[in-house]
Amino acid sequence: MVRIYVIDNGGQWTHREWRTLRDLDVDTEIFPNTTPFQQLQNEEIGGLILSGGAPRIGLESDLGNCEEYLEKAEFPILGICAGHQFMAKFYGGWAEPSKVPEFGKVEITLLKDGNPLFEGVPKKSIVWESHNDEVTRIPKDFEWLAESENCKIQAMSYKKKPFYGLQFHPEVEHTQYGEQIFKNFVKMCEK
Amino acid sequence: MFDAEKFINQTVEKIKKDVSGKALIAFSGGVDSTVCAALVNKAVGKQLVAVHVDTGYMRKNESEDVKKLMKTLDLNFRFVDASKDFYQALKGVEDPEKKRKIIGEKFIRVFEKVADGEGVEYLVQGTIAPDWIESGGGLRDNIKSHHNVGGLPKNMKLKLVEPLRDLYKDEVRKVARELKLKVSERQPFPGPGLAIRIVGEATPERTEIVREACDIVEKEIERAVEKGMMERPWQYFAVLMPIKTVGVHGDKRAYGNTIAIRAVQSVDAMTCHYSTIPHDVLDTISTRITNNLKEKINRIVYDVTNKPPGTVEWE
Repeated sequence: MVRIYVIDNGGQWTHREWRTLRDLDVDTEIFPNTTPFQQLQNEEIGGLILSGGAPRIGLESDLGNCEEYLEKAEFPILGICAGHQFMAKFYGGWAEPSKVPEFGKVEITLLKDGNPLFEGVPKKSIVWESHNDEVTRIPKDFEWLAESENCKIQAMSYKKKPFYGLQFHPEVEHTQYGEQIFKNFVKMCEK
Repeated sequence: MFDAEKFINQTVEKIKKDVSGKALIAFSGGVDSTVCAALVNKAVGKQLVAVHVDTGYMRKNESEDVKKLMKTLDLNFRFVDASKDFYQALKGVEDPEKKRKIIGEKFIRVFEKVADGEGVEYLVQGTIAPDWIESGGGLRDNIKSHHNVGGLPKNMKLKLVEPLRDLYKDEVRKVARELKLKVSERQPFPGPGLAIRIVGEATPERTEIVREACDIVEKEIERAVEKGMMERPWQYFAVLMPIKTVGVHGDKRAYGNTIAIRAVQSVDAMTCHYSTIPHDVLDTISTRITNNLKEKINRIVYDVTNKPPGTVEWE
């Protein structure tokens, strides 16, 4: 059983991330974002999820030790919402308040075939969103994976490490292929 | 996957360890508190007292039905009619957060009174994940203070026991089915009750209006579901708005309030899609509400908001 922990940045759906992983028979727990990297390393985790958080948190706050996780981890990391925005800024991209924020039902379009995170997900699908901010400049060495009408950077991946960022929320029931995306991430963590 | 049988065994063992004296359960008669009562009953038996409070903000005949339920469950129970107290406490209160906090505190004071008389040390609550998540704390923003978490007073003598904290409604229903509880499919009803389905002051008169409207919405939707006209919504009810609009009743001018019809599809209450109610059903609901409440209500609207951006209840 692979072990994947959820780092809590204060999101409404942090616990849903934990539940989705548990439903996939993953050994999972929620940890505060102040947890030192060494502690996670000691528990031999296979992957990490950086949760979303209240407005502006991905822009103004340092999101606890999330920086340390990105610096030191070799295992897969999935940043969701604020976690995704933080990842973009950490690698030299940019995130700022959205011109048109998205709440609830949105259609996204995948821009590239063959990315393992989106295996089995059709080109267009319905996702659930809840964000005031968004990534507006993708960092160097990142691939742009998905967009929606009002938010260009819905998904991205790092070319040098198995790190992914998603603006939408794959962990909630109403995201059509959310479970599939989680299964794909779990598969990466098992490797 | 969530394993209800395993959960029941582990939880009963844990309660046996954690609860060493008399316990009181806050019993609304919904799925969460009924499951909780059944689990704690298994663990500590007659050490448990179930208390149902009629807040005055219950649905039509609800408290009477809960009394019957408590008897069939073989619970050691107390029934407290505190409706006058609750109405009094909410007099002049319009802010939804204030309403929720006042109700949260009132509940605790009622429970403490019972507890004092009976030497109770523990308060068992059917708190589930969305309750503490939405109440916020630490990094997490407060969306609304659920009466049983964010609405709890700071000075509380009873020790809290919340066996369902990590569960969502669909998982609680699985446990309820495993325990063969009849309430397993009952639609959710918030602890603050009709008080948060009245935008503005929750006076006894306005409560009567929304109680009647909720009853019509429930009955008509259930009838439509039985006839196969629509999928059963996850939750369905009426909301009273303080907005007055002009109408015409029997050649005379009318000037009354507005009722919103709210129905959603969900699994866990964390995200919802508004329910598609057929127009024929909306039509019947609209006519029945406006005719039954003719002096008070002359306009009906249909809420088509998802969560997010909305929440299920309006307050």
